[in-house]
Amino acid sequence: MLKTEELQVNIGPQHPSTHGVFRMLVTVDGETLVDLKPVFGYLHRNHEQLGEVNSYLQNMPFTDRLDYFNSMVNNHAYARAVEQLAGIEVPERAQYIRVIMDELSRILNHASALGFLLGDMGAWQTSLLWGLREREKILDLFEYVSGARMMCNYSRFGGVARDIDDYFISEVKKLMQGLPRYFDEFERLLVENEILLVRAKGVGVLPKELALSYSVTGPLLRGSGVPYDVRKAEPYAVYDRFDFDIPVGTVGDVYDRFLVRVEEMRQSYRILEQALQQMPEAEGGHINPKVKQQSLKPPVGESYARVESPKGELGFYLVSDGSGSAYRYKVRAPSFINLSALADMCKGYKIADVVVILGSIDIVMGEVDR
Amino acid sequence: MTYWPVIAVDAWIGLVLVSIIKVTLILVGGSLGMMFLTWYERRAIAYMQDRRGPNRVGPQGLLQPVSEAIKTMTKEDITPLDADRVVHFLAPVVMLGATVLAFAVIPWGNLFPSSLRVGVLFIFAVTGLHTVGMLMAGWGSNNKFALLGGMRGVAQMVSYEIPLLMALLPIILLSGSLSLTDIVTRQGDWYGFGWYVFSPVGLTAFITFFIAALAEGERTPFDIPEADSEIVAGYLTEYGGMKFAVFYLSNYMTNLALCFIMASLFLGGGNGPGVTALGTVLGGLLSLVYFFIKALALFFLMVLIRGTVPRLRVDQLMGFAWKFLLPIVLVNVFSTAIWVAITRWGPQAQIFTDWFGEPASDNYLRYGVAIVVTLIINLLAVYAVMRINRRQPSDLTEEEIALGLAG
Repeated sequence: MLKTEELQVNIGPQHPSTHGVFRMLVTVDGETLVDLKPVFGYLHRNHEQLGEVNSYLQNMPFTDRLDYFNSMVNNHAYARAVEQLAGIEVPERAQYIRVIMDELSRILNHASALGFLLGDMGAWQTSLLWGLREREKILDLFEYVSGARMMCNYSRFGGVARDIDDYFISEVKKLMQGLPRYFDEFERLLVENEILLVRAKGVGVLPKELALSYSVTGPLLRGSGVPYDVRKAEPYAVYDRFDFDIPVGTVGDVYDRFLVRVEEMRQSYRILEQALQQMPEAEGGHINPKVKQQSLKPPVGESYARVESPKGELGFYLVSDGSGSAYRYKVRAPSFINLSALADMCKGYKIADVVVILGSIDIVMGEVDR
Repeated sequence: MTYWPVIAVDAWIGLVLVSIIKVTLILVGGSLGMMFLTWYERRAIAYMQDRRGPNRVGPQGLLQPVSEAIKTMTKEDITPLDADRVVHFLAPVVMLGATVLAFAVIPWGNLFPSSLRVGVLFIFAVTGLHTVGMLMAGWGSNNKFALLGGMRGVAQMVSYEIPLLMALLPIILLSGSLSLTDIVTRQGDWYGFGWYVFSPVGLTAFITFFIAALAEGERTPFDIPEADSEIVAGYLTEYGGMKFAVFYLSNYMTNLALCFIMASLFLGGGNGPGVTALGTVLGGLLSLVYFFIKALALFFLMVLIRGTVPRLRVDQLMGFAWKFLLPIVLVNVFSTAIWVAITRWGPQAQIFTDWFGEPASDNYLRYGVAIVVTLIINLLAVYAVMRINRRQPSDLTEEEIALGLAG
């Protein structure tokens, strides 16, 4: 009898396409994957324990370091959890500012995530660099409002740190004039490409039931055909005032996730348009002036707040014992939970697909290892 | 009786000197060409990606490869502890040797280093040695990624050499010669525009050869042996410093050689308007210019593809070679035979002469008929192959599955 020998290969932690220090212990039979065991924890930095020692405001910059692509969204989610805990009102204008920042984050995240995904497939950086070009413009805007490009630390309890001015608005409008061109260009470049189709269609299929049982969220779940989006399911901030669609896939393969992300960028663009239009009528300032940011002591209780981060449902769970720092602080990180479906998605595919499937989940190790 | 050995020695010395000059020119020209190509590729891709590319060292960054050569040469030479030291050391030598050997017969314009009568065969015989170098590197590194890369490389090279050579057969049929010199000279008709690419069979051969050449030169979308997102750097993983540079030198020189071969075989080499009219010296220079323009245009096409498309998966790559390219090139050999019969057969087939007149280079009726017939055959072949490959396993009947027609 002919028999083949299985080979165990460590992909990572030092590997060009594991998106950080992530290790996959894969067993391959030739090029076909037999088993996959994800190993992580290389980037553990005691985030949740720190959150129980710091004061509430001190923890805000730490949330930047979770998903370092979308620090604006992380800040928003954490601020919402604390506001819920302490019963803080947020002025309308601040809500609009947060929505604008969230949607800009979503565009920059998807632009780079799609670029990285195509890079994993072997497209030599063109799509990635086009994405990074747009990301760069958005990062410049973030730097203008918050002082930092990636670690924005922008939200405060009851609002945001600084108000946005007319210059910012005009710059956003200028940016948005260029965005549709980027979307079209990107779609023309590869969406219908034959090689992309054979690489992505039918690869890494995550059936609807399996996706739900793993409780994955974000584009991964929507790619599997479940129209679940926190922005619609439990509208926070001012998301109930906007008209936008939730793109869903049909099969749940890499290609569906790819298309869902492309379409989500267009929907974010729609939200941005409406938000900029509605914002001048919004009431209040950029922050609730009554809140004591430094010495916030929420009453005894617990709260869970979630937002739709570009990677999925990002939630913060807080328990207060009435003191200046949280008694318990827990992060529901979308990357971590989405990653748990990796092994089931990969089995039976080729080793080259594993990298693509991992890229299509769009993980950030800062969020997986907290 | 005493003078003839003197003449023989003179001739011998002359031969050696000429050979040394030729070898030096090839080695220097090849290396310089490789340096230029790396710069050219990076600049071209940079413009596609809204970047500048290397533009600091020297005018327009032209000396960037020099600075990199110095950098790699001064690096420490590392051999992994458990590597097979001899094999690990010899692998880059074998790779580079195979490439340089191929340059011995590749014409530079209308100038030939050596006019071997079986030049085409020789090129593909020696470039086949690449496979050995790749496997040596993969095996000798004692690294799983390197071994995977080496094995992938060997599988890819072996698969793609078949369509590559088969795509070449039409040219040999058309020219009736295996010598690159003859093949280039025969494309000089029609005011220097008698290129083989201008016939349906030549065009099909060119396109299939180009695709197979992308795979032979490990270019995107077939850069599987060194797919950095999957298996780190493939068989190059454990190489650094000068050995790594030698691999790259060999890789780019192979690409240069493939561009030269394609320019010679399909695009008429140095032939173009005015080459024959200007005489030997000026015409020779003009032929060099034409030749480099053609070769660089082909290389630009490779760069363009690299900057755009993702990589195929390894099984898709094999499927593409065996299920798509091979049937098409086989049909193309057949239609080339028909082309030759229609355009050239006089006494052998009286019926053609009766229908279309005597075979001659100005008998346009014969060429027209040949174009129509071969075009129809080739298009039908492409259509049929695409139909068969597009079908899903569920569409097939049991007999078809038994015949191995599953897409």
